Amino acid sequence: MTQISWLIALIPAFPLAGFLLNVFLVRGERANGTVASLSIVAAFITTVIAVINLAGMAAESRFIAITLWDWLAVGRVTVSFGLWFDPLTAVMALLITGVGALIHIYSITYMHGDSRPGRYFAYMNLFVFAMLILVMSDNLFLLFLGWEGVGLCSFLLIGHWFDRKHVAPGIVPSEAATKAFVVNRVGDAGLLLAMMAIVSHFGTLSFFGSDGFSGFVSQLTDASFTTISLGAFGNVGLVSGIAFLIILGVVGKSAQLPLFVWLPDAMAGPTPVSALIHAATMVTAGVYLIVRTHAVFDLAPDASGWVVIIGATTALIGATAAITQFDIKRVLAYSTISQLGFMIAAAGMGAYTAAIFHLLTHGLFKALLFLGSGAIIHGMHNIQDMRRMGGLRKHMPVIFLVYIVGALALSGIFPLAGFWSKDEIIAHAWYGAQNINVTVILLLSSLLTAFYMGRQVALTFAGEVRDKDAHPHEDLGSMKWPLYILAVASVLGGLMNLPGVHWLNDWLNPVLHQEAELFTLSMGIFAAVTVLLATGSGYLGYRIYSGPIGARITPGDEDPAHYYLGDIWKGFEMGWGLDYVYQRIFVKPYRTLSLFLHDVFDQQAIDGILVEGSAEMVGRFSQAVARIQNGNVRTYALVFLIGVVVLVGYVVIGA
Amino acid sequence: MLPTIFYIGLSVLLFVIGVCGVLLRRSTLMVFMSIELMLNSANLALVTFANQRQSIDAQIMVFFVITIAAAEVAVGLALLVMIFMRKQTTNIDTMTTLKG
Repeated sequence: MTQISWLIALIPAFPLAGFLLNVFLVRGERANGTVASLSIVAAFITTVIAVINLAGMAAESRFIAITLWDWLAVGRVTVSFGLWFDPLTAVMALLITGVGALIHIYSITYMHGDSRPGRYFAYMNLFVFAMLILVMSDNLFLLFLGWEGVGLCSFLLIGHWFDRKHVAPGIVPSEAATKAFVVNRVGDAGLLLAMMAIVSHFGTLSFFGSDGFSGFVSQLTDASFTTISLGAFGNVGLVSGIAFLIILGVVGKSAQLPLFVWLPDAMAGPTPVSALIHAATMVTAGVYLIVRTHAVFDLAPDASGWVVIIGATTALIGATAAITQFDIKRVLAYSTISQLGFMIAAAGMGAYTAAIFHLLTHGLFKALLFLGSGAIIHGMHNIQDMRRMGGLRKHMPVIFLVYIVGALALSGIFPLAGFWSKDEIIAHAWYGAQNINVTVILLLSSLLTAFYMGRQVALTFAGEVRDKDAHPHEDLGSMKWPLYILAVASVLGGLMNLPGVHWLNDWLNPVLHQEAELFTLSMGIFAAVTVLLATGSGYLGYRIYSGPIGARITPGDEDPAHYYLGDIWKGFEMGWGLDYVYQRIFVKPYRTLSLFLHDVFDQQAIDGILVEGSAEMVGRFSQAVARIQNGNVRTYALVFLIGVVVLVGYVVIGA
Repeated sequence: MLPTIFYIGLSVLLFVIGVCGVLLRRSTLMVFMSIELMLNSANLALVTFANQRQSIDAQIMVFFVITIAAAEVAVGLALLVMIFMRKQTTNIDTMTTLKG
């Protein structure tokens, strides 16, 4: 192995070491936080050095394959524990370790006084490790390890406060954790099936092989006309079949329609965990997977079409749900779903660079918003309901400043990061894919985005504090610098891929083979119009909720818009009722069946007849037998005599 | 010499008397004596068959049995004395501690 190979192998090794240290050796809150943060910072520095090394290589050979050891060898299939480092992995690793490090540092203050700091920081490190494995693996099997790893860590961290009954109305941490895990399993099944289909047809799970050409990706073109029989359901093309199965995995992990229901509840965990899930790890995995296996989707236009539909619909659903929420983190959670919809839609339209661009910028400003909201919750002593906030601008000036930056970036206001990446997606829908429906849906979602951010800022910061019992204060500690850095990054993030400069596009070109779109005047006008609309919409949201209408909202109230829109608003609020539908179709019948099996089958058949019945039978039999043993010697002698007579009689007569 | 069947008949008679004694008598001493009776009925049968087969082995074996029975009587009577000292009775029906 060469020097840079060692360096790359070190990137996931640091978080793993941090995890092991925190589990086995390090005790004490301060030490836990320091070790965890240092390990991620070290991973970030290593990543930066590796990326600089990578940039020094020739553009077309910018990949480093490292086979650490052979993991599984079953028949003709060998799965190696192999890492793969190319420009796509590089930007993902930078985001994961960079934002991850800031979140870890932030956590030191945020989690101060928590009863289980060792557990928390250990799982945070494991989370980053799993995500790094996910983006750095050179085959689907190892990717799946990371995929499951982030699922496990999300479960563990969402349920960090498993002993608390509720952190917000209706949200129980242990239930939210289970929900996230179970919903993810549904998607995981799809990815698992996709892996099986790939390994059975191509004999390998490696994307590119150690030379860059021997993986299944390079065999896809030959297989583009292969069909597989589904029995009574007819035939389906192999490649599109694989693509659809991958989509199932993606909608689970990236919280897309119809499996996004776990993400809004995932805020039951500590806020830095939400930041980690929403920005750096976990939900971006689905987008990454589509882009990584983009060769599959290039050959499966029908599947890609569905990706666009799923992404665009999710973007709209997420945005409409976000405008109705009162929980400060729930707004952001639905916002993430919506923004992930943008990325997925972009990936479906073949705009992979735009998808990754939005993934990166979103990672920056969503981390900023979540950490900002965490600081607000921290300063409000665990109040999350925006109806009880208001007027925080006076009490938390620093948070107000960085939060405004994050909100503007998310709303897509020129010239912040979100503007460039979101506009690239919408522009691609209009100019590239020329799909007017998708363009309109995305545009509408984008306007709603600005609206709900305006609403949130108004409800949180404008006016006076509605809850007179609250004592807002600003005490940032180690939370300060992560917020500053992310705020700066949210402003400058767009520089990655400015029109006409498009560094990110050039950087990803060896992987994605996408030429940068030419920037035309009409695009500029298009962008200007969208920005004006977004600004107007955001201002509208701010005006409505900062004015007298907003001031009248008290804790427990419905939103004023509920008065005009009624059930439609209620439907938005419930995430279009998907939770309700699942509750009715899956959870309730399953619970009824379980209760039936519990009451009738388990309690009566198993417990009643088999367990207690058999015990009772043995007991009664023993009591009957015990009566013979009365201790009376003469009875014993009689029984003995009868026995001897029978035995001797049998021997004599039988012989 | 009487025919063998008479000796065997006596042996069986003695054995049955012994069995009845064990099962029916309440005095431990009598039960004990009944056991000795059964033992000796068996001895008698053994000697009878040995005589019929003109074998000397079993005749010798019977001496061993009688010797060991004597030892056993010593132990048994000692136990009996101990039981009487503890319970002030030798009624066998009072000895019912060996039960489940």
